[in-house]
Amino acid sequence: MSKEKPFPEYRRKLGPGWWLSNGHFTQYMIREWTSFFVAVFSLIYIYELSLFASGAKDSALALMRNPGIIAFNVLALLFTLYHASTWFYLIGKVQPIKLGKTTSKPWQALLLNIVLLLIISYAVIQIFIVR
Amino acid sequence: MPKVARLHAILWGVFSMGGFIAAFLLPVLIYLVGIAYPLGLWPVTNEDPTSAILNHHHIGTLFLFVTVAGSLYHGIFRFQSTLTEVGLARAKRALEAIGYLIIILGILATAIYLLQYNPSFFSLP
Amino acid sequence: MSQDVATVRVTRYRPEKDGEPFFQDYKVPYRKDMVVLDALNYIKANLDGTLTYRWSCRMGVCGSCGASVDGVPKLTCASFLHEFKGRTIKVEPLPHFPVIKDLVVNMDDFMHKLVEIKPWIIRDKESPPEEGEYRQSAEELERYQQFSSCINCMLCYSACPVYGLNEKFLGPAATALAYRYIKDSRDQGKDARFPIVHEIEGVWECTLVGECSVVCPKGVDPMLAIQKTKILGATNALKSLLMPRGGGK
Repeated sequence: MSKEKPFPEYRRKLGPGWWLSNGHFTQYMIREWTSFFVAVFSLIYIYELSLFASGAKDSALALMRNPGIIAFNVLALLFTLYHASTWFYLIGKVQPIKLGKTTSKPWQALLLNIVLLLIISYAVIQIFIVR
Repeated sequence: MPKVARLHAILWGVFSMGGFIAAFLLPVLIYLVGIAYPLGLWPVTNEDPTSAILNHHHIGTLFLFVTVAGSLYHGIFRFQSTLTEVGLARAKRALEAIGYLIIILGILATAIYLLQYNPSFFSLP
Repeated sequence: MSQDVATVRVTRYRPEKDGEPFFQDYKVPYRKDMVVLDALNYIKANLDGTLTYRWSCRMGVCGSCGASVDGVPKLTCASFLHEFKGRTIKVEPLPHFPVIKDLVVNMDDFMHKLVEIKPWIIRDKESPPEEGEYRQSAEELERYQQFSSCINCMLCYSACPVYGLNEKFLGPAATALAYRYIKDSRDQGKDARFPIVHEIEGVWECTLVGECSVVCPKGVDPMLAIQKTKILGATNALKSLLMPRGGGK
């Protein structure tokens, strides 16, 4: 198969900014960057757990009241919710539910899972916080 | 010869589970711990949310472990892979190694801290 | 019938003369029913006989006339000129593939991948024709039917940034076709195909951009096939972990 090629082929390379060339790609990249907020919030919270474990509860609570951390948390919540909605939509694309002759649409999975998210969140608050 | 990448397949499965955890369980944790408590929003309580959850013994500790470990795994795994797509493709192996190191250490640390706080976790109620 | 004039900006690459590709503009008069491929044929016949491109059927069946039209991978025979009225239409060779000349790209990589996934029905033992055909119900057909519509036009590869970043990635069309046979009730070739799709550069590289399914001219959903194949791979791996003997098949 390794024929001698008489003339060079032109190879193109994908630059680091490829995701700006098309709206779908930009949306995709925002979706992937939600992971940054998920990861960093987890790391901050693990640090707070370490303070709780070593009995330094007050410094953990002081850290939570830091305006910078609160601002980050607001962003982290927004991005995590965006992750959740894209994830729910994709579940509907990959695992549609068949009922008789009709197959579920992705937006139906999105709605259903948002309701489920609200129920779970409310249950967490009821069980652990309000009691 | 091509071979089924078993470990890769299992790690992808864990990543996928983490995606569900980050979608269904993480938002409420961020809200309670990071926004509602410091700003005094609903549900207002005397006890801070982390203590409230941890003092709810086994189920609370389990909830925190699953949420934090799952989200950390998902977030780090996905973020390091995203970095390879925006110009760091050459550092792919290094990024993967650093990513897994953070994941393993982070999950171990979470487990240790939770057990330190709640040492009776493995004893029967 | 009234005629408009389209400005078609085509990538030219003449490896015997140029080190780099460049754009050349052509003015093409067109009617409402003309497509980009008609414009290319008009250029070749009337303006510049040296323009090189692939085509054959002119009706979205052969899959040879793919190009990047206005930045999106499309079949040039299915892109109407009037949709670009008032704008310059940029026609470039399919992204991510090496360019041989003008709009002609090297398809070797895809051709190898296509053969690699063994796109035919594999049986443990072929039964002789006298025993009749391998029968299949309508439900069994439905499980893979959409994935069998692929015309190998490679638009999905051109739309896939993961393939653009890593040529080793098995990619959309090849996986969709592999999945088509994995899901075929008559096929018994899972042991031969799983090592290829579940290899490290197989489906695991995919990060679910989803653009492959957007550009497919035949309504195939390679993104779905890849996700389903990943789920299969993860479940099999988990089974073989929990039941080392006999599991994970």
